[in-house]
Amino acid sequence: MAGLELKQLRKSYGKVEVIKGVDLSIEHGEFVVFVGPSGCGKSTLLRMIAGLEDITGGELVIGDKVVNAVEPRDRGIAMVFQSYALYPHMTVYDNVGFGLKLARTPKAVRDQKIRDAARILQMEHLLDRKPSQLSGGQRQRVAIGRAIVRQPEVFLFDEPLSNLDAALRVDMRMEISKLHNDLDATMIYVTHDQVEAMTLADKIVVLDGGVVQQVGSPIELYKHPANLFVAGFIGSPKMNFVAVNADKVSGDTVNVSGPDVVGVPVALPAGKVRPGDKLTLGVRPHDLVVATSGAIVGRVGLVERLGNETIVNLELPSGASWLAVLDGDQALKRGESLALDVDPAKALLFDANGLAVAAA
Amino acid sequence: MKKRTSILGGAAAIAATFVVFVIPFIFIILMAFKDRQQSALRDFSWPTGFHFWENVVEVVKTRNWMMITAFINSSIITVVSVTLLVIFAAMVGYVLARRKTRWNGLIEFLVLAGLMVPPAVVPTIWLLQGLKLFGTLHGMILIEVAYNLPFSIILYRAFVATIPRDLDEAAIIDGARPLDVFFRVVLPLLWPVTVTNIVVQSVGIFNDFTNPLYYLPGNANATVQLTLYNFQSQFSTAYNLLFTNILLITIPPLLVFMFFNRQIVAGMTAGAVKG
Repeated sequence: MAGLELKQLRKSYGKVEVIKGVDLSIEHGEFVVFVGPSGCGKSTLLRMIAGLEDITGGELVIGDKVVNAVEPRDRGIAMVFQSYALYPHMTVYDNVGFGLKLARTPKAVRDQKIRDAARILQMEHLLDRKPSQLSGGQRQRVAIGRAIVRQPEVFLFDEPLSNLDAALRVDMRMEISKLHNDLDATMIYVTHDQVEAMTLADKIVVLDGGVVQQVGSPIELYKHPANLFVAGFIGSPKMNFVAVNADKVSGDTVNVSGPDVVGVPVALPAGKVRPGDKLTLGVRPHDLVVATSGAIVGRVGLVERLGNETIVNLELPSGASWLAVLDGDQALKRGESLALDVDPAKALLFDANGLAVAAA
Repeated sequence: MKKRTSILGGAAAIAATFVVFVIPFIFIILMAFKDRQQSALRDFSWPTGFHFWENVVEVVKTRNWMMITAFINSSIITVVSVTLLVIFAAMVGYVLARRKTRWNGLIEFLVLAGLMVPPAVVPTIWLLQGLKLFGTLHGMILIEVAYNLPFSIILYRAFVATIPRDLDEAAIIDGARPLDVFFRVVLPLLWPVTVTNIVVQSVGIFNDFTNPLYYLPGNANATVQLTLYNFQSQFSTAYNLLFTNILLITIPPLLVFMFFNRQIVAGMTAGAVKG
């Protein structure tokens, strides 16, 4: 039974600060995903929780114990590495049992635990093999087996699926999700793949530049991103942005216009913006619909027809390019003019500092 | 056309190897079968009689079974110093490759200096006498370890860099203490270099002539290479016995090489394939 508490956690390498005061609380049994672009500090943060990196400042609490100075082996954690990090000279059986052997677990108990873990992961037939005789997916299973056999309070995953091919990744993603349900353990998962983040997480932590940008459930982040970074990072394809000015504020609707858009209505409670404010309009490619005389008009560039949907690259008058994902198959030609409209409830506005102008 | 040149090249290489390595060895064997008169001619002739067995007995019995003592001494020195070399050099190589500090440059310079600066014999003897280690086997072992450590460290350090750091970290998470990480995870993975080290260093130390000559005086302390002096002097040299002696003391290094040769190859191929 262990939750985690990160209090103003900091990490610097010499003068370079990579984690700039992270506050986070993770409940027992939660599946938390750290996402962010390369170099945002998500792996560093995970390694600090694991005890592989020293903590420069702040407090890390696992369960109800401050573990800043506690050795990794006493933190009640297990970690799965991106490279799997299986010991090449040991069989799968010994790989999985290595931690138990170090803990001087009696042989019979050890054997039982190894076989239980192997059964859960359906790899009983692999126990006598060496890692070099396994495929990528099997190695990943062994790495996870090595983690479960220690019965940790907290599982740490460092981009565990990024070395697998696309199909296997989907399978393993489901298995990890199932494992989380079966084991009822806290899991912290680092990835740069936002699909993994969206599908696995109870709670997503978006990191950029060593700072937490937003914490929330996947749908919350998708629907109500706190700032431009989260809005651009979560969701695929990426959200479209354009600089606009507020024209007219009437009741709970604001009309915004800019070089590329004319009079787009956005649903917003009164009093949030004043006419003339400089804002950024954000619209998800999926929220754009074809209209006869839309607010957004552009020239059709590349068209990707996938059958169930059509992805259009739209060149706007200012030279910016937007993506629109249109329902069904649309026979559009390169170079023709296309008008799009947007649902006022789904358009988002961000202020000059990049923070969301909250709709709620 | 190309094929013919490559065959010719191969044949030339084999011939050269034969002349350099095999002919001297054949000469040693032939000499070991000769009697004293014939061996004194020092020519490449077929032995007139079969004197091998009496030569062997003579060599082994000379100077109160000195050969036996020498074999025991040499084996102790070789086994103990190679063991120490492997463990210490692997440890130093591991730490040098893994832990980056500002002292690394200096340490690496000192290691290289150990290779480059020739050991000074007289001060070393003076130091050994001060430590009461002069003329003892363990003193000799320390000398061999010290002289050969830099080379072994350099071999190990380069190889440790190829072992992913993730493995260390996985072991730490699994609950390994530093010595567990080293002995259970890193050292087994260093096996290919360890074999190279064992072969190179044990042959070198077993065949060492000068160091035991300087630092290990006395009949009771003789090592195998020093037994060669038994049959060689300014006025009379028994060449048949000298070469029998050479033949006998060549056998252990040859065995080491034959035993580990397979392992070197196996170790190399295991490391070559990603996995």
